Amino acid sequence: MHILATEGLTKRFPTVTALDQLTVTVGSGVTGLVGANGAGKSTLIKILLGLLPPTGGGARVLDLDVTTQGAEIRRFVGYMPEHDCLPPDVSATELVVHLAQMSGLPRTAARERAADVLRHVGLAEERYRAIGGYSTGMKQRVKLAQALVHDPKLVFLDEPTNGLDPRGRDEMLALIRRIGTDFGISVLVTSHLLGELERICDHVIVIDAGRLLRSSAIAEFTQATQTVTVEVEEGTQPLAERLSELGHSAVQHGRLLLVKVAGPETFDAIRDAAVDLDLCLIRLEQGRHRIEDVFREEVDAGV
Amino acid sequence: MSEIYDIGYRHYDGPRLGRGYATRALTVHSLRGVFGLGRTARSKIIPFALGVIMLLPAVVSIAMMALMSRHGMAYSGFATYMQPVVAIFLAAQAPTVVAPDLRFRVLPLYLSRPVTIAEYVAAKVIAMTAALFLLLAVPLTLIYVSELVIDLKGPPQTKEYLGALVMALVLALLLSSFGLAIASLTPRRGLGVASVIALYLLTSAAVPVIYGTLYSAGNESGAAWAWLLNPFWLVDAVQVWLFSTTPNVPDGGYPPGPVPAVLVLVLIGIGLAALAARYRKAAAQ
Repeated sequence: MHILATEGLTKRFPTVTALDQLTVTVGSGVTGLVGANGAGKSTLIKILLGLLPPTGGGARVLDLDVTTQGAEIRRFVGYMPEHDCLPPDVSATELVVHLAQMSGLPRTAARERAADVLRHVGLAEERYRAIGGYSTGMKQRVKLAQALVHDPKLVFLDEPTNGLDPRGRDEMLALIRRIGTDFGISVLVTSHLLGELERICDHVIVIDAGRLLRSSAIAEFTQATQTVTVEVEEGTQPLAERLSELGHSAVQHGRLLLVKVAGPETFDAIRDAAVDLDLCLIRLEQGRHRIEDVFREEVDAGV
Repeated sequence: MSEIYDIGYRHYDGPRLGRGYATRALTVHSLRGVFGLGRTARSKIIPFALGVIMLLPAVVSIAMMALMSRHGMAYSGFATYMQPVVAIFLAAQAPTVVAPDLRFRVLPLYLSRPVTIAEYVAAKVIAMTAALFLLLAVPLTLIYVSELVIDLKGPPQTKEYLGALVMALVLALLLSSFGLAIASLTPRRGLGVASVIALYLLTSAAVPVIYGTLYSAGNESGAAWAWLLNPFWLVDAVQVWLFSTTPNVPDGGYPPGPVPAVLVLVLIGIGLAALAARYRKAAAQ
């Protein structure tokens, strides 16, 4: 079943075309929406929430039409904006309870749900303090909590890892994965880092300049783009030569060697080559692809 | 974090109430905000201090009734007499109703919920109107209840009291729609306070100048129109027309007829239209 589907969706602003004939479907689970800044991610979310009328085409969310059933969609969808959106002078509890009521939950239910959901996002005693004193990580958690408080069927998370340090980023990603699996809430999460989404998504959609570049299951993605980064103490050059002789594609990248993974045998070949050449192997790491790599590939494929 | 107590995610299958409920919840939330309830102690000081000041004339009136057995201030003159306090309350508290949601960009969190922008604005206007109405109605009611308890000679002034309540509501709506519109144009709270108070001072200061100029030129009927520049006297003029009360201005009084009432309606309309336009723009961002 499709959680959402767009058909030839187009949005033109006076000076720019934000979405251009976008046709895409999203199933349940965690779906990543990737694109550079200005690719049309936020515009797409606003249209899907029924807040912005499309110029052409159409879209359905939870089988409801975005142009005519916006209010009904918003009853069952949660939204975490990209930008700061929290008033500093109220506590997280008070804000989340209030927003739960705004989603139609009676007051007692709103209190229970707010307490539950703040616990799930990992806010403990600090939830009674004014939000103004929170760290960026805590604010992101409050933003996530308000998107989940009414137990939506689908949440739109716009750049949820923005401004987080590496640890906060990992925790946020783990939380998003849990929302999609344990909580059973479908997630559409945007990012400009594909590597980030690779870790948590079932499906990835790449858009650029409002057009669909690619939409595929994560497995297809990683298969097509998998590389391994090899770091040795000395002798990067001989190792690259040896691997090339064995028929592996190895590209030198400064002190690192990027080797395309053909299958499990690639790892064996790297290990054996390092042993044969008597090299000190420091690191073998699965390549993290960034959005730029996908773009480059798409462009290469197009040429 | 709390693995031990983690009983997993629970879904909500209780009732989901409609937009009417959400609008009411927002109204109550905003009304509480006006009086600083659920906020820091510091944000309660101004609204409650002004509320207490509004009660002082009521206390004097009650004392006069109890000790001297005569009426103090007329119900119809209360709002006009206390206008600086009401204006300060409006200037100080209108920005707290609208400015934070605009300044801290909280609006998208509301708009991503079923409530529409029109309902959002309506809730804010109702909350501010209710706050101003309470500010005026509580002292009036206190005086009226005391009047009944003390039981002065002659029939109780029920009609005057109810008339004053109706006019308090009209005044509250007029002040709210204008005050909120001005405050919403300036997301910074301090600037909002200054703008509202500046407009009030301007309308108040303009009255004697224009009145004096026209009066000395011998145009007495024209001078009466000057009073309508100030919202409190404008509403008082409506009261005179509707309930035949004594004008709360020296000599001549107000221009007769329904014109002041029409003016009030037009001004409320302008205020609400400005608010709607401001929020339509904010929602599109």
